[in-house]
Amino acid sequence: MRTFVALLVKEEKAIFTTPIAYVVIAVFLLIMGYTFTLTLFMSHTASLVHVFFQIYVLFLLTVPIITMRLIAEERRLRTLEVLLTAPVSEVSVILSKYLASMSLITVMLLLSGVYAITLAIFGQPDWGPIFSGYLGLLLHASALVAVGLLASCLVSNQIVAAVMSLSLFLLLWIIDKLGYLLPDPFNALVVNMSFLVHFRTFATGSLFLSDAGFFISVALLGLFLSIRALGQR
Amino acid sequence: MTHVVTADSLVKWYGPRLAVKDVSFTIEEGEVVGLLGPNGSGKSTILRILTGYLPPSSGSARIAGFDAMEESLAARASIGYLAEDAPIYSGMRVGEFLHFMAHIKGLSGPQANASVTMARKKLELESVDHMAIGKLSRGYRQRVAIAQALLGNPPLLILDEPTNALDAYQVIAVRELIRSLAGQRTVLLASHVLTEIEKIASRVMILVDGMLLTTDAKGNDTNQHRLRLRIAGAPDKITAQLRKVPGVSSVNLEQTSDAGPPAADGETPRAYIVPVQAENPRRIAEDLARVVIEGGFALSELAVLEPDLEQIFLALTQRATPVS
Repeated sequence: MRTFVALLVKEEKAIFTTPIAYVVIAVFLLIMGYTFTLTLFMSHTASLVHVFFQIYVLFLLTVPIITMRLIAEERRLRTLEVLLTAPVSEVSVILSKYLASMSLITVMLLLSGVYAITLAIFGQPDWGPIFSGYLGLLLHASALVAVGLLASCLVSNQIVAAVMSLSLFLLLWIIDKLGYLLPDPFNALVVNMSFLVHFRTFATGSLFLSDAGFFISVALLGLFLSIRALGQR
Repeated sequence: MTHVVTADSLVKWYGPRLAVKDVSFTIEEGEVVGLLGPNGSGKSTILRILTGYLPPSSGSARIAGFDAMEESLAARASIGYLAEDAPIYSGMRVGEFLHFMAHIKGLSGPQANASVTMARKKLELESVDHMAIGKLSRGYRQRVAIAQALLGNPPLLILDEPTNALDAYQVIAVRELIRSLAGQRTVLLASHVLTEIEKIASRVMILVDGMLLTTDAKGNDTNQHRLRLRIAGAPDKITAQLRKVPGVSSVNLEQTSDAGPPAADGETPRAYIVPVQAENPRRIAEDLARVVIEGGFALSELAVLEPDLEQIFLALTQRATPVS
């Protein structure tokens, strides 16, 4: 446990002492502020549905930037050799990097909470869809970070890792459109691979275990494969 | 004696390239063993296999009784490892890095502090404790990397090119540090610098093209020794006299730049090198002294020469090189 805490602290410092985290947060807040203000003044409704869809897309674009360096950089600088010749398991290394990345995501989501507070001050929002939307975003991000981490495990070039994960995210965003063109039973299979299909229910205030299970399964699969990939040297 | 390191038929393929070819050796507790070989001979690969970082393609390695792959965590807990070129986190400060390494090696707060203080002192890093590692000179970085290997007093130290990038004073200090560990800890160090290995290690293994040519270049493997005698007299008669001693098959006149041509009168003492294969070369030295005196020659020097690692290295590597 002591080892894991040391690894986690190191990863948190690595994330929050570099400009990348602050640039990502700043861009995120800028775009979200614009979206929130625009939709609020146009629709005059105390809802965050548009904001959630916007965050959903922003996560697809920013998570590869957060995760690209996690293992690829350590491999390129050969510090992975220092880490993995100490009595540290691959599981601890992967989980510490995963949790540290998720903490940045959590900070971004907490900062976006100011929009919900604004709605609460000036109106009477329906809190159900707001809570489910945030839960959906957290699950969505947990899956994305795991897949991004896997890409970072597979290559030693950060840019390649980012492009790999971004391409996959974009494909899984729009894959449901392809699914609708396919015959049964492939259509159901492909449509259900879409992130958007599973996120839409959360954003609109519906909670389905199957949707939560999808994101959790992707996250667990990503973590499992990352651990295996790190073990293959 | 306990085997701290046991490498059993290690083989490592990098794609189609065979980097390590059936390497087996053992290292006993308290030994300081050098792994000598040219660049690209597979030294770092062997060290990475021993530390559990790389799996062997076949064969196995045991560290302090634990399998390096199957019981990797326990094996790694017994090792302090300095990787080649000292890769360390350049964004961290020296003290922060050493504490981080102490913690991931499982040391608790007070133990970690004590261990970091000891390592910092041994490598003289107090003055740069608050500096970012990325801003340090290459020599300091190397010292920080050595310091982290010492944390937690691991029973086995595996050091890959430990004196790389160090200045002359630091090389001497690190050499002394490693020597001082002899007997208390087991040390395996790899280097391509022959003189460095010769000065530090008590036993030298030679690796060329992934093949381990000897596990003890300095002595026990071959029992090869050389005796030097300085004798006045006619060289052909002296050579014939020396050959009378059992165990002496060849006698060579020492070729030195200041030797000059053999004196016509045979009165100028000249040095003869007698290679012998024996467990106890001093016994043969006594016989040689006796026959020289019996032959009526003047013996002014008789010495058993220390094994010359350079000669052994050249002899072994030439033997290993296929003749085209």
